[in-house]
Amino acid sequence: MVTEEKKQEILEKLKNCVIEYDEDGVKEAAQEALDVGMDANEAIFDGLVSGMEEVGRLFEAQEYFVPELLMCADALYAGLDILKPHVKQMDLGVKGSVVIGTVEGDVHDIGKNIVKMMFDVAGFNVYDLGRDVPLDKFVEEQIKTDSDLVCLSAMMTTTMVGMQKVIEKLREKNPDVKIMIGGAPVSKEVADKWGADGYAPDANNALQEAINMVSALKKMRDEAEAKKR
Amino acid sequence: MPVSTMTPRERILKLFNGEEIDRVPCFSGMGNVTAEGMKDLGYKFAAIHLDAKMMAESAATTYKYFGFECGVVPFDLCVEAEALGCQINVYAHSEDILYPTIKEKVIHNEDEMDISIPADFNKLGRIPLMKEAIRLLKENIGNEAPVGSYVLGPFTLAGQIMELNDLLKLSFKKPDKVGKLLDVLADAIVIVAREYEDAGVDYITVREMGATSDVLSPRVFKNLILPYLKKIFSELKGNTVIHICGKTNDIVPFMMESGARAISVDQKNDIVETRKKLGNDALIFGNYDPYNVLVAGDEETVRSTMRKCIDDGVSAIWPGCDIWPTVPPENMRAMMDEIKNYGG
Ligand code: B12
Repeated sequence: MVTEEKKQEILEKLKNCVIEYDEDGVKEAAQEALDVGMDANEAIFDGLVSGMEEVGRLFEAQEYFVPELLMCADALYAGLDILKPHVKQMDLGVKGSVVIGTVEGDVHDIGKNIVKMMFDVAGFNVYDLGRDVPLDKFVEEQIKTDSDLVCLSAMMTTTMVGMQKVIEKLREKNPDVKIMIGGAPVSKEVADKWGADGYAPDANNALQEAINMVSALKKMRDEAEAKKR
Repeated sequence: MPVSTMTPRERILKLFNGEEIDRVPCFSGMGNVTAEGMKDLGYKFAAIHLDAKMMAESAATTYKYFGFECGVVPFDLCVEAEALGCQINVYAHSEDILYPTIKEKVIHNEDEMDISIPADFNKLGRIPLMKEAIRLLKENIGNEAPVGSYVLGPFTLAGQIMELNDLLKLSFKKPDKVGKLLDVLADAIVIVAREYEDAGVDYITVREMGATSDVLSPRVFKNLILPYLKKIFSELKGNTVIHICGKTNDIVPFMMESGARAISVDQKNDIVETRKKLGNDALIFGNYDPYNVLVAGDEETVRSTMRKCIDDGVSAIWPGCDIWPTVPPENMRAMMDEIKNYGG
């Protein structure tokens, strides 16, 4: 059995290597975690993710900028690659899948990529459609993957209106799907007006919103199932 | 005060020269075509990027209809990237206003970053079309209003021809390699800008919004990007402006140091602070929000925003980015009216 001390040391190392965007260091620590028989979930959440949370704080405080954030994300992904196969089952209370992309006419994808990363970390199945995504593609992909959640990003007031169309189309095909929108020109008011289920001003809140929505959806389904029986 | 007899062109050229003018001018170095202007011409937004005559005619309407004190072409950010070999998409199928984007980049990975400028670069893509559009625009309104154009800054252009995520990471991991690319791109940008000067523009704006402090640290800006901006501005003879949107308060001294005649910032900049930092003689253009104020705001918001810009001490009233085509005509008129009354 691994000692508490050793465990803390490895978690610290995972965390710090993410913060210092040290990919090799993260890989080493992740391997070490497995070698000493640590729980992969714990290594992910108390190590990698807690590092990324600190990165988020540094970003907000403007000590880190987007390049640093992207490099930290690479380090985190390097650790995830090693640990994920050993995860018993990702248990966040929910297991969800999400279709995400930046809407047609809009190539601003920096923010979308940050939001996507949060979903990856949380163990969601992420179907990333990229940027400048034709509006119908969101609907097709949602149906194809039967995803719980569709996330739309737009950074321009002109492309933002495309979201409204996607929401209408999605609702037509699948009234249950949860839809979350975001990006600088988007606001809670806009999200409400267009009938989106969720909005978040940044990546951290996006994840929390998503988890809430997906659990609500799951609960709804379970209740429906129970009634049938 | 005597009734103004200066034409907008005289006023703005004097401004660039540091001479006395009758009131603060209201113009832009970025796109400012309006749906109102296109409507009467019967042109679709998707069409006006590909035809010199349509481009120039559309650009002229903002001056003709509203007295906005300039004409600017183009409207998109793809001219240089296209000439370097990228494919663009103008969304010809769409009735909506979608800005052209890059469909296919030329650099796909780190190993392809060692590019050189194609032979006869000044004849490629839409560069000749741009020259023609500038000439036509000058013919159309050039006696009264100044004609401007813009190019991208080297970092923003790099982000158009390669994956931005890679570029951002490499600026940290391999700054030398990125520096080499920016150096080549700076040369390419100078070639394009000189063509525009040759066609007769009165001023050129270099748009380097990819390097905003929302994305990149001031330190990286200074070390990696500033040297190539300096290179560009040292090669250009005419009136120049450096534009960066988003957070800029910490980099305005570097923007000034780049050698541009004027700096342009958006609504996130604290102009009072910037004025203090840069002194009374600096040309600071800004800084109203072209969407939330000019499109979504009511007339009173427009008017009070203009007064605030003037009180804060801008040298010219100028938008934070492109003017959004769907701007309500009454807001354009309110803006011009307020500046004429309050800006003396
Ligand atoms: C970088 C940039 C570019 C780059 C984009 C490169 C890329 N691959 O992304 C380039 C140079 C290509 C570019 C082009 C253009 N741009 Co630009 N650009 C910017 C800039 C400077 C930064 C955007 C950014 O990445 N911010 C950093 C990220 C981390 O923040 P974020 O995107 O807001 O994301 C966060 C949240 O919004 C949220 N979020 C984001 N998505 C989602 C999704 C969901 C579901 C949720 C819940 C949350 C969420 O979480 C994120 C993380 O916290 C902004 C100005 C600014 N400073 O904001 C202008 C800006 C967005 N651009 C603008 C414009 C006008 C253009 C052009 C039209 C210019 C032109 N004439 O062609 C073109 C458009 C091309 C096109 N058709 O798309 C305007 C848009 C104005 C408006 N209100 O509509 C802006 C606001 C500049 C301005 N001051 O006016 N641009």
